[in-house]
Amino acid sequence: MVTLAAPAKSDRRRPPPPGTGPADRAVARPGLGWALPATLFFALFAIVPLLLVAVLSFASWGGIGAPEFVGLDNWVTLLHDPVMIKSLWLSVLLTALGVVTQTPLSILLGVWAAGPQRNRAVLSAIFFVPLLLSATAVSVLWRALLDPNFGVPAQARWLFGDGNLLGSRTGAIAVLVLVGTWQFTPLHTLIYQGATRAIPEVLYQAAAIDGAGTVRQFFHITLPQLRNSVITSVILMVVGGLTTFDTVLILTQGGPGTETTISAFYMYQKAFKSFDFGAGAAIALLLVIVATMISLIVVRLSGYDRMASPKEGL
Amino acid sequence: MTGAYARRHRPAPRRHRPNYLAALGALLWLCLVALPLYVMLGASLRTRPDYSTGGPLSFPEHLTLANYVRDFSSGFGRYFLNTMIVTTSVVVIVLVLVPPLAFSIVRGRGPATGRVFRLFLLGLAVPAQAVIVPMFYVISTAGLYDNLLGVILPTAAFCLPVCALILTGTMRDITDELFEAMAIDGATTRRVFFQLVLPLSRGGVATIVVFSSLQAWNGFLFPLVLTQSEETKVLTLGLYNFQTQYGIDIPALLAAVVLSALPVLLVYLFARRALVQGLMGVGGK
Amino acid sequence: MSLRARFPRSVAGGVALALALGLAACGGGGGSAGGAAEFHVLVYGDAANKVEKEIVATFNKTSDVKAVLDTVPGADYQQKLQTIINTPQAPDVFFNWGGGSIQPFVKAGLLLPLDELGPDAAGLETKFLPSVFDTAAVDGKAYGVPMRGTQPVLLFHHRKVLADAGVQPPRTWDELLAAVKKLKAEGITPIALGGGDQWPTLMWFEYLYDRIAGPELLKKALAGDKSVWESADSRKALSMLKQLVDAGAFGTNYDSVKFTDGGSPALLASGKAAFELMGSWEFSTQQDANPDFATKDLGYSAFPTVAGGKGDPAAVVGNTNNFYSVLKKTKHAEHIAKFLKLMYSDDFVKAQLAIGNLPTTTNTEKFLASADNAEYLKYQFDMVDRAPSFQLSWDQAYLQTNATPLHQAVQQFFNGQTDADGFIKAMQSLSTS
Repeated sequence: MVTLAAPAKSDRRRPPPPGTGPADRAVARPGLGWALPATLFFALFAIVPLLLVAVLSFASWGGIGAPEFVGLDNWVTLLHDPVMIKSLWLSVLLTALGVVTQTPLSILLGVWAAGPQRNRAVLSAIFFVPLLLSATAVSVLWRALLDPNFGVPAQARWLFGDGNLLGSRTGAIAVLVLVGTWQFTPLHTLIYQGATRAIPEVLYQAAAIDGAGTVRQFFHITLPQLRNSVITSVILMVVGGLTTFDTVLILTQGGPGTETTISAFYMYQKAFKSFDFGAGAAIALLLVIVATMISLIVVRLSGYDRMASPKEGL
Repeated sequence: MTGAYARRHRPAPRRHRPNYLAALGALLWLCLVALPLYVMLGASLRTRPDYSTGGPLSFPEHLTLANYVRDFSSGFGRYFLNTMIVTTSVVVIVLVLVPPLAFSIVRGRGPATGRVFRLFLLGLAVPAQAVIVPMFYVISTAGLYDNLLGVILPTAAFCLPVCALILTGTMRDITDELFEAMAIDGATTRRVFFQLVLPLSRGGVATIVVFSSLQAWNGFLFPLVLTQSEETKVLTLGLYNFQTQYGIDIPALLAAVVLSALPVLLVYLFARRALVQGLMGVGGK
Repeated sequence: MSLRARFPRSVAGGVALALALGLAACGGGGGSAGGAAEFHVLVYGDAANKVEKEIVATFNKTSDVKAVLDTVPGADYQQKLQTIINTPQAPDVFFNWGGGSIQPFVKAGLLLPLDELGPDAAGLETKFLPSVFDTAAVDGKAYGVPMRGTQPVLLFHHRKVLADAGVQPPRTWDELLAAVKKLKAEGITPIALGGGDQWPTLMWFEYLYDRIAGPELLKKALAGDKSVWESADSRKALSMLKQLVDAGAFGTNYDSVKFTDGGSPALLASGKAAFELMGSWEFSTQQDANPDFATKDLGYSAFPTVAGGKGDPAAVVGNTNNFYSVLKKTKHAEHIAKFLKLMYSDDFVKAQLAIGNLPTTTNTEKFLASADNAEYLKYQFDMVDRAPSFQLSWDQAYLQTNATPLHQAVQQFFNGQTDADGFIKAMQSLSTS
């Protein structure tokens, strides 16, 4: 139903900014009170701990005894830590690879699944299942599947060679991207599936009259109409990609060496393997800052945070 | 699901030629999705020797439910109940808090609502792992350590950002005309919320229900650090009993995974219709 | 609009439900807070919990102060312990690995030495094998009571594969190198290695260093003498390891294989590999996963000797045992002392043997003959009993903060990402205090 409202509005001219139109004054607007319970709740259980993390990033603390204030030490050490620099780069690389792989795939699958045939509905249901499994389960499954001696690589030596996937840099990164894609494509597919459904039929009919084929329709109508969905989906991918660590923990443990030690995993290692909670806190904070900056940029560019419907921009 | 939906709401459907290329692609993807699932189900129904000798890909020689029986006998009922309590409570909290929040973000005026939205965007980027130590102090200071409530509250809090993003996306699609129409009727904000916004965001609400229940159901870290005794153990913690210091029993582990995913899968199958429509709202188109 | 007006009621209902659940949760979970007449025992949650549960039940039958067993899912045990150890939520007694795993807690003044537990704890040290008991001592004071089984590292092999290739279990390093060459020619991976777990790779370093330099090298390193890593002995050990890796002893894909998910044990059991250097738990792992192989073809021997090495050929490397340590803040020291006395009771020994663990109490020996796998257990017990030294795994002897860099250095040296100098530098950068 929500999606049905879209066709009528999509080609509309931009309405006046909120608060200036005559009708706008009469419309009941919710006050801040409506946001208050959620905001307070969120502040108490997420922002307060986050602030404590910020404080901790200026302290040296091993979990026992009292934290000791050390000023900028953690930050200075981190900025000179080659593993840290490398891990940030790796995080960005893995996230980018994830976005690049998952976006086209989920757009294609989403557009395909939006068709009305019943077999597509059944397949879509199967496609959805990976989303239901916990990251631990997903990682254990894929390890078994990719075992060099008993899994798929052993059956396809011509393709995998000795099957040392997780023991080489390229192989390990490829596996992480593949597993992430397997796990999260269903979510993004659904986003695109819904958005495709909402594209006005008239656009396609007009194109068909002009003699445009399926491929041209896809590039000239479907893709441009999916712009907003791409934004939402990319935000979720970026944030998800930067904060993944459990698949790394179980699949590669950051190895070989430090070749897949992404920042979120490095934070976990520092805090819970080396019990250097100060350094862990600093990395955590750095990640939060980077991820927030990227999502804010995406949001700002897309106008997603404007008060009214995002369709105004079209 | 989708077939009926599309037929009902599309008076003039596009002519659909079978697209063989797309079908081929979908089939390839099906293999990629189904293979690990086959490995999971297959392994969970085999004995450990059978799995070890045959490898993950081979077809099981004898099917056995022994792994499932073993999981059940390791206190499954208690853990299941605890997980149910946590999941239901998290969903309820999210349902109570997020719709008014999203309403305020989408329809509220002034810079404050924008700031609220940005606060939640910030929260989107906070990995639970990052705040677990301070969280432990917050929860134990509140006297909620080793209490299910101590798991419920932070789990719910960490669901809020994504849920807010999803629901604001859905609510933005409600046209101005509808609000204006209600304004002409002289409707109060409350009435607008309950009679216009909520019913029209049903899909988005279904989505956040599914999202938050998945989060709560599969949650591991918060229960791990914030509970301790047998009485408060949830499924994700309890089903790791067949792990040893130096190895895992893969068939038993995968049986546990199937067991713990099964209820969610059932809910999904029944709620799929609402869910698919719900998630379709995420794109904001 | 037919779908309106359902929501107000459901929201109201939801609020009521949330409150009800909240109250129920409060009522249900509060049990552990009171704790007037009980003490909490925190253990690593895994398949061995059976015995711990039995012992707690036995204790509670006669004691008015009850023991409560809390299990933490294994892989995350350390994380959980570190989070709560210095808070009011800390347990009274906790599972640990001795050595570096308790040193920071001792330094922070959190632990109670066993001799301050009261008269009931007197003479505890006479009840356990000394080489094991000593690993939980810090600065000469004992802080831990062994509570599971000892796990020496052995060189396991596939009997049939060795026989077919005409190879004997190697007694010396040179014999091992010769065996590697022969097996490789047969198209068999000579040695299975779960490099993905990293700690199995470390075992090769531990044994070779012990054989070449003796246990003193690590003792000095742990005491803060970083120069030992540059010594001729150290370099010799590294070059011999390099030689083994370069000879193709482990194949090429060992970093993609793990022991923990059954990968490397399956290699050995299927005959695709001939050897595996592993803790004594390899035996029970194979019994569960490959019972036929375990009874018919699983052989074992001590790590080969190295000609000219300073280490005693009878010295052992591995995990000495797991331990119970007591927190200073406990109010029930004398009851805990009584509880710890159960760790060398006859019932305890029998129960551990029944699940395949080899306890390290002095009374263990008399039960060995009647246990399952008596031969295997006797072999290990004699090995540990006779060992002039029992080197605790490096990742447990060092402070736990070093585990990650240590594992990385080991992995990178094996796969060629660093050379001997890089490894030495990495070892020197580990913290020792």
